[in-house]
Amino acid sequence: MTIQPQTAKPGGPLALAFLAVLQEPNGWLGGYLVTNGWGRPLEFRLTTAVQPNKVQTALYGPTLVEYIHADVIGKTLVEKTAAKPDLIVTDSPAALGLRSRVEVPVVALAPAGAVPADAVAFAHARSSAGLLLPARYASDREFVVQLLDRVDSAVDLAEPFARVRDAVAEARKMGVTNRAA
Amino acid sequence: MLLDAEAVALDFAPEALELPKLDQPLEPGVREARLLTDAPWVRVLGRLDLTVTTEGWKFPAPTADYAPPPRAEPKVGRHVVNLPAAPVLPDGAPVPPRIRPKPTADTVLFKDRLLYLLQPPLDGLFDGRQLEVPFEPYKYQLEGIAFLMPRHGAMLCDEMGLGKTCQAILTLRLLFHQGEIQSALVVCPKPLMHNWQRELKMWAPDIPVESFEGDPDHRRRLWLVSNCPLKLINYETLTRDADLAADPRVKFDVVVLDEAQRIKNKESKTAQVVRALNRTRSWALTGTPIENRVDDLINIFEFVDSGRVPADAPPRRVAQLTSDSILRRTKDVVASDMPGKVMRDLPVELTPAQRAAYDRAENDGIIHLNELGDTISVQHVFQLVMRLKQICNFDPLTGESAKLEQLLTDMEEVAQSGRKAIVFSQWVEPLEVLAKALHRYGALQYHGKVPQNERTPILDRFKSDPDAHVILMSYGTGSVGLNLQFCNYVFLFDRWWNPAVEDQAINRAHRLGQKHPVTVTRFLSGGTIEQRIADILEAKRAVFNELIAQADKPESRGLTEDEIFGLFDIKARPKRGG
Repeated sequence: MTIQPQTAKPGGPLALAFLAVLQEPNGWLGGYLVTNGWGRPLEFRLTTAVQPNKVQTALYGPTLVEYIHADVIGKTLVEKTAAKPDLIVTDSPAALGLRSRVEVPVVALAPAGAVPADAVAFAHARSSAGLLLPARYASDREFVVQLLDRVDSAVDLAEPFARVRDAVAEARKMGVTNRAA
Repeated sequence: MLLDAEAVALDFAPEALELPKLDQPLEPGVREARLLTDAPWVRVLGRLDLTVTTEGWKFPAPTADYAPPPRAEPKVGRHVVNLPAAPVLPDGAPVPPRIRPKPTADTVLFKDRLLYLLQPPLDGLFDGRQLEVPFEPYKYQLEGIAFLMPRHGAMLCDEMGLGKTCQAILTLRLLFHQGEIQSALVVCPKPLMHNWQRELKMWAPDIPVESFEGDPDHRRRLWLVSNCPLKLINYETLTRDADLAADPRVKFDVVVLDEAQRIKNKESKTAQVVRALNRTRSWALTGTPIENRVDDLINIFEFVDSGRVPADAPPRRVAQLTSDSILRRTKDVVASDMPGKVMRDLPVELTPAQRAAYDRAENDGIIHLNELGDTISVQHVFQLVMRLKQICNFDPLTGESAKLEQLLTDMEEVAQSGRKAIVFSQWVEPLEVLAKALHRYGALQYHGKVPQNERTPILDRFKSDPDAHVILMSYGTGSVGLNLQFCNYVFLFDRWWNPAVEDQAINRAHRLGQKHPVTVTRFLSGGTIEQRIADILEAKRAVFNELIAQADKPESRGLTEDEIFGLFDIKARPKRGG
């Protein structure tokens, strides 16, 4: 069953979520920033690092990265965060699988090189990088474009990830990444 | 036979046989199964699923919805462009780091540090609709905002003319929008009240403001009842309302002191009243933090961060204690922060046909003006100026244009290098002629004759179409509010009356976000009215640059009536009001 995104709130306040998945020495770590339509932070959430063991790596095989990015980190962060976004932007194409677990459109910043087979590429003036949609949810495109048209022109979807990385670095420095609960 | 039960000895005790204890059923094959489920044959797998724990932080929300002010032009439907941002240019110049507020060293809590780490970068922020501003602030001004934002005690000591007012207002505006503050008081000298009101309207039109004016009852209401987020008062009124200002019910999230050297005398009534204000953040603006003695600074700091600097601290110690809270830039220093701009005044010789038409029109026009005698008005002179300027663009009979010939040569180079250009003119008609002449460069038009609903799509096409190398704009329509920093060439086909308007036009391309130098070509027809106007404007521009920052009123730099009459050396003109 395809989960349809909720109807866009015409003219209402927008909330954009930025899901960054970072590879740390002790595993994958997620940072999740929700902003309003011009980039003001509303809520931020961090995960502890997750490190699969050898058995998990063997059992999950090629689906491991998507499982960690989309299910373990992405879905957990979306569910635990009070602010509900209209759109989720991620810097990890592997997290596009999150789309099938939530009722919110998910787009990824396109990495340099070829477009993944299970994604479709498009561009929008609000992003300095190309964007990817999960191929199974290519029909989200029109909805996403409508949303992005309402985003303030000062916003570049690729920019907030630098903020998230800075916040994660600060959290690491202050020992916060070890105590997430 | 009956047996006496008691007589019968029931001492029979069956002997229990010790059977071997078997902890496992004796079934074939079971033993082998048990062995295979034990270590070392099988190890515990543990949990197969992966889990994480999370920690989150929520940030303050503004108590009021600061709606953006209405646009001067009616907004039309957005036209979506699929190609983002500026075209990638080949020289690989490094992208400058973004300007963002950073938590101060004494911000200890992670949540407080996050609040600033997660704020959007300031460069580009004011390009958007939500925080629209009339001019993009300079980089050093954005750095000033990034300095003020996280500081509860701060002194902005930029040299006069660098826009301290603008920086303070934009910082307040951002903090209001971020929900970090709900109330602010600006204290300024009485003569600057009007200036502050004007600047507030310009830089923060969405933040309601009230001024402490009128009778004592009205002011009392402002102090105690009004919940207007931003209030403005002068030092004299504040001193008069000292009791109200010190009322415990009166509290401000920010108090900004303009010309803070007014409190350099610690014992003065003004200084005492200011220090008594109940506040969370204390910002002082002054271009002269030390007018005479280092005590001036120490006394101002009693407002900024009371007790931080001991009264008897030696100067070196004062510098150490205050350095993190003071920002001062001079014009010399910030000049290097401006993005590169090459101004190229390009004199062109009128074609013979243009020269003949020009001389004829000028001679006839001056004769006509002199014949008008006392009935002459500035409009008569304007008409002649306009006529002459139009001939400098195109010969009315043959359509010849020395400027167009030069522009065609330059556009060839622009197109060859894959760059884009903007051509500005005062009139629509020459733009329409230019559009035909520059057709092979994908010329687009953006001026008053273009319907509103077609303008945004034209800009988007100009941005995204690699074959559209030039856009033709009128000063009136194209000089304000557009971000065209993907253009590297600006041509002023003819000159506007006011250099501030020209600067605004140039700043469509020459603004933050521009990664390459912008070449501005100003066409000037030698030995014509254009040269005379340019000379006057250049002199005025020099004076302005010497004294006033870019935030000042653009109108103040145009030609005066006397200067317009002086263009033709006309002395006999009527006395106004007489």
